Amino acid sequence: MGLFSFDGGKKESQPPNTRSQRKLCWESRDAFFRCLDKADVLDAMDPKNSKVISAQCKTENDKFVENCAHSWIKYFKEKRVIDFKREETIKKIEQEAKQREQNQ
Amino acid sequence: MLKLSRGVNQRLLHCGVTVQLRATRISGNGANLLAQRGFFSGTGLWQANGKKPLSRVPVGGTPIKDHGKVREGSIEFSTGKAIALFLAVGGALSYFFNREKRRLETQKEADANRGYGRPSLGGPFHLEDMNGNEFTEKNLLGKFSILYFGFSNCPDICPDELDKLGVWLNTLSSKYGITLQPLFITCDPARDSAAVLKEYLSDFHPSILGLTGTFDEVKNACKKYRVYFSTPPNVKPGQDYLVDHSIFFYLMDPEGEFVDALGRNYDEKTGVNKIVEHVKSYVPAEQRAKQQKAWYSFLFK
Repeated sequence: MGLFSFDGGKKESQPPNTRSQRKLCWESRDAFFRCLDKADVLDAMDPKNSKVISAQCKTENDKFVENCAHSWIKYFKEKRVIDFKREETIKKIEQEAKQREQNQ
Repeated sequence: MLKLSRGVNQRLLHCGVTVQLRATRISGNGANLLAQRGFFSGTGLWQANGKKPLSRVPVGGTPIKDHGKVREGSIEFSTGKAIALFLAVGGALSYFFNREKRRLETQKEADANRGYGRPSLGGPFHLEDMNGNEFTEKNLLGKFSILYFGFSNCPDICPDELDKLGVWLNTLSSKYGITLQPLFITCDPARDSAAVLKEYLSDFHPSILGLTGTFDEVKNACKKYRVYFSTPPNVKPGQDYLVDHSIFFYLMDPEGEFVDALGRNYDEKTGVNKIVEHVKSYVPAEQRAKQQKAWYSFLFK
């Protein structure tokens, strides 16, 4: 029936099929990511960071898990890393271009 | 002899007088005639200004009136009017040709995508809409359609794109009077039943019609539109997964043929402009051949 079970079947979640559900998920994601920024954690999937996350962002993480489907959580966590790397690359390229202009 | 000669002389004299008299009479007549023509009379030209007109009047030329002023209405001297006329005509022509150039370019682009008879995208498919009706490529005929492939469990891109589509549709109908048939084709038929699609799409523009089908039907439709997607064919119930898929809007013309693909680079404004361009430059098949041979089309080759 399209129901999701995750966390070992502890909780069943409806597919986030409505705008309000999506909004709720996105908001809890943003809150969680803001907390990660504060804790200076980039990759939430990295097991090295799990201690820091549970210590500093436990409430945010719980809410994130509660409001979003498992696949979305994985997607958003991966996207965070990819987006960060992309921005870094863009910054690097822009800086290189600026330096080249100054040299010329 | 003397008598005779005197007589002759007298006669000659007489004759001479007569001749002279006659001559005077003739010259008098002639002078009168010339005077009548105005050459010597007081109404003559040179006496009008008290100047000699010979430097201004060519022999046989028309006399200048109005005391030698330049006459108005002479075309070579009305520069103001000439500039205005030049700007008006030039501006109108350049506007017309620029507009035509753009229109023909868009039409050419659409023609190129049309592939001259062989569609590069699209083709027969069989799906079911969210109200339970059959939906095939024949339902694309007679109106412009815009197709989007996605799935209801899409985390962030599809909802954004569908919101954008809603803005496009509203702007198109309110500002340009263009109504498209918007279609949302799921790439995830295992989860996106008609009911799920209906619930999902209720958050977006009311005219968007959701299409689904069996896995093979959906796969066929996606293949026809070269939409890449990766859903495992046998998903267990309750399994949570995402579907990777290409994200393009496909604009189809009233013949059901592919016109253009609009990616994420088109925002709420530029997308509308692009669609309007295509819709306005669309020419039905019968007229297409004729219009391509417009007399001025050689200008844009």
